[in-house]
Amino acid sequence: MTDWTNFDAFALPTLGCWLLAVVSLYICKRKWLPVSLTLAGCLIFATFIGLLWSGLGRPPMRTMGETRLWYSLFLSGIGLVLFSKWKYNWILTFSLFMAFMFMLINLLKPEIHTKSLMPALQSRWFVPHVTAYILSYSFLTAATISAIQQLIRYRKNQQSAQLVSLTDNLVYIGLGLFMIGLLIGAVWAGESWGTFWNWDLKETWAFITASCYLLYIHLRLRETAPRRFTLWLLVLALICLMITWKGVNFLPGARYSVHLYEQ
Amino acid sequence: MKSSDSPQNRPFKTSLISVASLLLTGFLLQLAFGSFNRCLLRFPVNMYLLIALLVIVVFLSLRPQSRLFQWFSGIPLSACNIGAILLYTLVLGLVPQATSAMEESSIFGFDAVTHSWPFILLYSFILINLSCVIARRLIRFSWRHYAFYLNHLGLLLLLIAIGLGASDRHSYIMQVEKGATENHAYNEQEGIRQLPLSIKLIDFGLEAYLPKLMLTDPRTGEPAADGRARFWEVDTLHTTGNLAGWHIRLMRYIGHAVPSDNGTYSPQEVTGACPAVLVQLENKSGSVSKTGWICCGNYAQPQRNLSLNDTLNLMMSVPEPKLYRSDVIIFNPDGKQVKARLNVNSPLRSDNWMIYQYGYDAKHGKDSTYSRFQLVYDPWLPGVYAGILLFFLGSVCLLLEGKKKTKEEKR
Repeated sequence: MTDWTNFDAFALPTLGCWLLAVVSLYICKRKWLPVSLTLAGCLIFATFIGLLWSGLGRPPMRTMGETRLWYSLFLSGIGLVLFSKWKYNWILTFSLFMAFMFMLINLLKPEIHTKSLMPALQSRWFVPHVTAYILSYSFLTAATISAIQQLIRYRKNQQSAQLVSLTDNLVYIGLGLFMIGLLIGAVWAGESWGTFWNWDLKETWAFITASCYLLYIHLRLRETAPRRFTLWLLVLALICLMITWKGVNFLPGARYSVHLYEQ
Repeated sequence: MKSSDSPQNRPFKTSLISVASLLLTGFLLQLAFGSFNRCLLRFPVNMYLLIALLVIVVFLSLRPQSRLFQWFSGIPLSACNIGAILLYTLVLGLVPQATSAMEESSIFGFDAVTHSWPFILLYSFILINLSCVIARRLIRFSWRHYAFYLNHLGLLLLLIAIGLGASDRHSYIMQVEKGATENHAYNEQEGIRQLPLSIKLIDFGLEAYLPKLMLTDPRTGEPAADGRARFWEVDTLHTTGNLAGWHIRLMRYIGHAVPSDNGTYSPQEVTGACPAVLVQLENKSGSVSKTGWICCGNYAQPQRNLSLNDTLNLMMSVPEPKLYRSDVIIFNPDGKQVKARLNVNSPLRSDNWMIYQYGYDAKHGKDSTYSRFQLVYDPWLPGVYAGILLFFLGSVCLLLEGKKKTKEEKR
């Protein structure tokens, strides 16, 4: 019967595969090797989750340690899909790095595998909801960095079509993931609290953030090259995103938020 | 001609002025009448409004080349509407909102944004705009625009089902004693009401996590350590650990314990039993070693702590709930009976009712003699689910396809 005592036997080969995947990403020109290594790592890890599920007799979703298993699997899997589509090396590197971090916590702190997860968080939607957001934050942050680069180039009169295209794609990918996280959160809220949308503080700021990116997308449909206003919108959007992620805890009205469980 | 008056910018200017005027009208209505009463939108009024929306959009789209339809379905108006809703929800995000009508104090409705006239008018305007945008693409239908249809139709369905349907949604709390059948429920707006369905509670069960031990100051009752050092979670696999510099060893753990005559605890699965542990503590130097039983106590038996010195006690916190569930029989209005188990995150659907495991008697924990359920009536639920599904698929298209190049960009 597989339990947490077998975790190292699966985690170490998985980490080995992912590490080799990242190295081969920057050494080899052909992408089939990092993709295969990442996939191999994901399969080994998924095998452990499946065997643990079988051993426990229930889905491994009740403790913090079990939740981290799914983070690692989702981050690596989604990162692989997005890398296969978009071919940006940093997508796979970042996703595997994040997956690695969650696995490292489980490896270094085995005593917290049984750490309690309150009943409302024991939901099949918890991990996809948070994973989608983690990934979206990274893409949208990259989009803002790209926008700032464009603003600097504006001053030097050195616009780059490639940078414009990259910024747009990063916003589309990031917003797509953000909306997936938001919609999963709505379904989860409907299942747990009986209401899909409560204008809870975190939900409100997620809506504000999404509106910023939606506005950017719509303005860009009328522009061949982005105007300064449109690019500054991405800077504002990142500020709203940071408030959504962490800043809401400090806002007035935060005490009524259901998202205080994070604390 | 100034660049701001160029043909490209005129629709933006018109849209900005229109949206600003709309918001101003909303503020004036707010000042005159106070917050909007959502109950006015109850069925059949919301259905009439939906039909009116359809009529307006069909009417406008009869002449798709008209300036009015082009403006209503154009990007400038969409962008201005998104900008307006962004600004208005910033107010929602920064100003603490009133939790009831009695608490509202802002004359412009800033502390009750979702009930304010500007928000309602803007919401309605967005529905018309979004419907016209979709109609414009449907007139020149192409399967290649599947991502557009998924995103925009999904959003429209959601806005209609959540916005227009909100007033038809009712939520109640029902408390049912073990073995009893109940059909009375309560909410703040309607008070106690008899519902068309009944619930019989067969059994209630609760599983708790292993308890935590913590050091406290017996003089104040406050924790004696901060941060991570505050708790030591009882772990039957890893029976030793550290707690604020004290070495702790778990010698025995009883999940359902009752006190014995000799000062120890014995396992008995009876009502009123609670966790107890036998632990040994030793300080860093080894000069102080204490062994004893600790129990969190409950309504039936007292708490027991282990005294280490005049300023330190080791106590057990009440175990946190892992999951709680109710075995019930639902008696539907049509006479059907449904046997089910309700957990948190696993509601039950019965026609247009959703039934959620809401709470229990926290003081009695696993021995709770009643269970609380939340019953939500929402006839617009299928619309919400359909909207979420379409919007979800549209979002997947966004992230997999990115921005589609225009003909100009391709050239």
